[in-house]
Amino acid sequence: MFSLNNQLELRKIAISSLITCIYLPSIVTVISYKGLLYSLGNGSTFYVLLLIYIAELLKSFYLNSNVVSKKIKSKMQARDVINSGIFLLGVTFCFFVGMILFGAPMLDSHEETLMISALLTLLTVFPLVAHAGVESAMQLLFGVKHFSRDTIIEMLVNNALLTVCGAWLGAVVIPLDWNTPWQKWPIPCYLGAIGGHLFSNVLTILKISLMSAAEKNPVLNFVVSVLNKFNLSK
Amino acid sequence: MFGHGFLLSRKTLSDVTECSPLSEISCEDGGMITKEYCNDDLKIKHVSSNIGAFLACAPKRNRVVLILVDALRYDFTEYDERIEKPLYYQNRLPIIQGILKQHPERARLYRFMADPPTTTLQRVKALVTGSLPTFVDASSNFAAMELQEDNLIDQVVMSGGKAVLLGDDTWSRLMPKRWLRSHALYSFHTWDLDTVDNEVDSKIYDELKKKDWDLLVAHYLGVDHAGHRYGPNHPEMARKLKETNNRLQKIIEMLPPDVLLCVIGDHGMTESGDHGGESRAERTAAMFVYRVSGLGDEGALSVGKEVQQTDLAPTLSAALGRPPPAPSLGNILFSVLPKMSKSITLLHLSNNLKQVTKYLIRYGEESQQVSLDKLANLINATRDQIEKAANVETDIDLQNYVSDVRNLMENIRSTFREVWVEFDSLSMLRALLLLLLAIFFNWLITEGVPFESISNIFASSFVPTGLISLAVCTAVCYTAYYFSYLEDLEHSIILSTGLISGGLTCMLVIMHWDGITQRWYEGRSSFYERFSRAALVASAVILVSNSYVIEEGTSLSYLALSALGLISWNIGNVKAVVCWALCGVALALSRSYRGCREEQGDCWTAGEGAPTGQASRAALVLALGSVAATVAITRRHVGWRGYGITLGGVLVCAHWAVGWGALGSPAQSKLMAKLAWLVVVVMFILLWKRDGRGATIPLMVLGLVLYLANVLVLGASYAPAAALALLSGFLTLNIVSWMKTDSASKFSLSSRCNSCVACLWALLACYNFYGTGHHATLGHIRWAPVFHAGDPNYISIGPLITVVLTSLHLFGMPFMFGATVPLLLLWGRNGVSTLGSRTQMAAVFSLCLKFALCFAIRVFVCALSATIHCRHLMIWGVFTPKLLFESGACAAAFLGTVLGATLTAWHLPPHQRNS
Ligand SMILES: [Zn+2]
Ligand SMILES: [Zn+2]
Repeated sequence: MFSLNNQLELRKIAISSLITCIYLPSIVTVISYKGLLYSLGNGSTFYVLLLIYIAELLKSFYLNSNVVSKKIKSKMQARDVINSGIFLLGVTFCFFVGMILFGAPMLDSHEETLMISALLTLLTVFPLVAHAGVESAMQLLFGVKHFSRDTIIEMLVNNALLTVCGAWLGAVVIPLDWNTPWQKWPIPCYLGAIGGHLFSNVLTILKISLMSAAEKNPVLNFVVSVLNKFNLSK
Repeated sequence: MFGHGFLLSRKTLSDVTECSPLSEISCEDGGMITKEYCNDDLKIKHVSSNIGAFLACAPKRNRVVLILVDALRYDFTEYDERIEKPLYYQNRLPIIQGILKQHPERARLYRFMADPPTTTLQRVKALVTGSLPTFVDASSNFAAMELQEDNLIDQVVMSGGKAVLLGDDTWSRLMPKRWLRSHALYSFHTWDLDTVDNEVDSKIYDELKKKDWDLLVAHYLGVDHAGHRYGPNHPEMARKLKETNNRLQKIIEMLPPDVLLCVIGDHGMTESGDHGGESRAERTAAMFVYRVSGLGDEGALSVGKEVQQTDLAPTLSAALGRPPPAPSLGNILFSVLPKMSKSITLLHLSNNLKQVTKYLIRYGEESQQVSLDKLANLINATRDQIEKAANVETDIDLQNYVSDVRNLMENIRSTFREVWVEFDSLSMLRALLLLLLAIFFNWLITEGVPFESISNIFASSFVPTGLISLAVCTAVCYTAYYFSYLEDLEHSIILSTGLISGGLTCMLVIMHWDGITQRWYEGRSSFYERFSRAALVASAVILVSNSYVIEEGTSLSYLALSALGLISWNIGNVKAVVCWALCGVALALSRSYRGCREEQGDCWTAGEGAPTGQASRAALVLALGSVAATVAITRRHVGWRGYGITLGGVLVCAHWAVGWGALGSPAQSKLMAKLAWLVVVVMFILLWKRDGRGATIPLMVLGLVLYLANVLVLGASYAPAAALALLSGFLTLNIVSWMKTDSASKFSLSSRCNSCVACLWALLACYNFYGTGHHATLGHIRWAPVFHAGDPNYISIGPLITVVLTSLHLFGMPFMFGATVPLLLLWGRNGVSTLGSRTQMAAVFSLCLKFALCFAIRVFVCALSATIHCRHLMIWGVFTPKLLFESGACAAAFLGTVLGATLTAWHLPPHQRNS
């Protein structure tokens, strides 16, 4: 999995995961403190998505800095931006339709479904696009390209998969008849997606710190290999 | 065996108690001495002690106000000044104690004991009939909610009295059309504490002023809902109890002098506010009776004594001048009735005893649940008691007589209670263990034993040995029964054959143990395989929770779509993803056909629950279009059999089109339906004609024939749902046929013969039960499908046709999916049809077994959940129907797989047979 070759990359990954582990829970805590947790589905909480967008953008700038590779030049052409914008809109639409197929309300609550589709796009596909460009993201999506060498992309793909898993698991509480406000669509899936994303970042940090500790204590290699079993991306 | 121990059943009788007014009883009956002294008292004395005489109606009729405060536990009505800090449910009903102190001759307060299940529907039925209703009140109209037995309301209405209803709509559904005025409301919003109560309040005071009714029933739900939502020790409970107190005060002030006010609870509640089980807190409700003009003597029943809820129906009937309802097993409580003379008391007692005698006789005629000698003893005892009425002279005699009658009734009640109220846990446990054993061993075999060994097993003497040993076992059981060594034949046969089958399967596992363990060591499941299996187990495990049972349609489509998605992602090409998306669209479209059930709140009250009669024009067009499209697309791919399918499709469309709307002619429509069925049967027979090209096409035709059969019973409104089911199956078959096979030849079959495929197919089959508009409740069983081709009651095989059509209507989808299981292996280019026939059969057998096992696991979990929840609030409303429906679906799936496997075996190319 993560190879110990590129220390710089590992450090960047660790720091970006750490940043995520800090800013996401703080957003959630601030929102629940202000009592807005149960209105996460409304359009009024659009600023949350905006915050996440800005944070991911900054993280991708950080990840792209100091990279010598030709592919990932920070040469922001207008055409690239428009392409990626269209691609992201397409992915949001796919998530929207996908969620309706899976069981989200078909004829109403479109605003809520849109909010959660946007969140999922921001947390899964957007970092990939910002880091590697639209073409690479599409190739990855369709399983054409393999990325076994590139640890950053591996981390981003893991994040994406675990975010979707979190959203999937979050739907488990919706049919229960507890009549609590946090069971309404889309809040469980919304929080589940954020939770999944967080969990993936925590795992990354754990892996990296264990790996660097395992250099000194070979005993810990066993734990590292156990953690590698969580590797979903194949 | 499980059902025998679990499904408490009770035979309902449609008898009605009749009585003749005293004026119609002549003194000459039975030779009375002098005609001059023929007054009412003498008539009564004569009738009371004469077993053969008719029941005489009591001369006086009082008006009764029955207020049911749902979940009014007895300790809510107590008042203790010494408590310094009363809990939220204590000391909140001071009016009751106040009246008891001020006017002790006008009021009574008792502990009103309920029998389990302490759920509201069962309790209301029990209160009006005076009996102990259970889940299966086996009556002629199994699925209807309407009460079929004689009850308090019917007795009132029969004699020309009038009844008014306010409150919970359970009453109006149990006893429709008997109410002079009825203001009934939907009652399932348990988080809403006030709507029903406020509605009743707005009407009850006006009703109390009117004089045109004899019985006023008001059912308040606030206390019960507060208990469910917050529990008894909460300020909201205090608020509701205070409201109840004010209400009672106002009603007592407004009450006319001779009206009997009866305030009862139907059950209590636990510390958490729920009810349904048999704990003392749930069974102890309260009964408060008040009458301005006074009540009879207390006798032995002082304040706080226990009184059975079965006693309410006969007592109120007596108050209203009627005999007790026919199924009642209760006493008449004279302490809550107006004071009456000795002769009238004896008249009531005699009526009660005669009614009970008649019930015992009739129950013995109709059912063998209670042994005949026990019944005979009880009947003799009641007859003796009736005759002893002649010896009652003094008041002390009367009191003794009353308590003798009470003891006798208690005896009778406990006899019936044993049969109707207690679960046979031993049967249930044995059945569960047997089922678990079967599933476990079969799972080991299907997962572990490799294909080659399976064909060897079949070729060996295993199957004949098994069959012979089962036959021997059954014969031994019969002989033992004949010679009276065994008592319960059915149980013994099932238990012994089950154990022997288990033993044989176990031996098989042991013999092939090496192969099984080797496969475990070598096998590597990929993520999607494990996920599918986990999805199936998850779909079973969530059935332990009532909210997931209610929302099962949604969760099944969710799991099926996720499993399918992972499989198609694993395949990796665009075709698979598009198919998956289309399948998702098909499942989402079928959502509009799902409807809803009673517990699903807003959906139900908006009227989407109950399916309506005729299809609308749009529905008809959709139905015609779907059938036409399906037939047109598929007929080209099934060879010469396509003509039959086309003919069948045309006839089905004609059947709907001709019978629709005002211009339709029902006779012609039924003729079309009969012709369509003829085509279906002929096509089915033609399936067995071998044309040497393998089993794929016959299986496809089988699927289409079953589709046509389903569409005929579902009717025009739900026909497109069947087409959607077919489409989802078709897309899944395509995706499965593109599954990647491993390179190693040993496992080249394994990817498609995998349990993940069987699990996915089982999930789809279970989903399409919901997708075609069904629900796992008995109230959703419709009778229209039975009559669509004419009335089967006129033919001699009518009952058989009814059963077949109803089963097909309910379980047609699992049957269809079961019959097409072999297609999962034969479809497409990578199919099994290229391999040798023995391997083919082994693979088909293995996959069919896995599919059947999926259903068996679901049934097992349903049975387990019903056992765990046997005293839960929703046991009769949710879990038991789910168990019944799941067993039915399992049986249909088994039958379907047997049919599909047999068809496949029949059509195997003969020249490959000897390979
Ligand atoms: Zn109740
Ligand atoms: Zn309740």
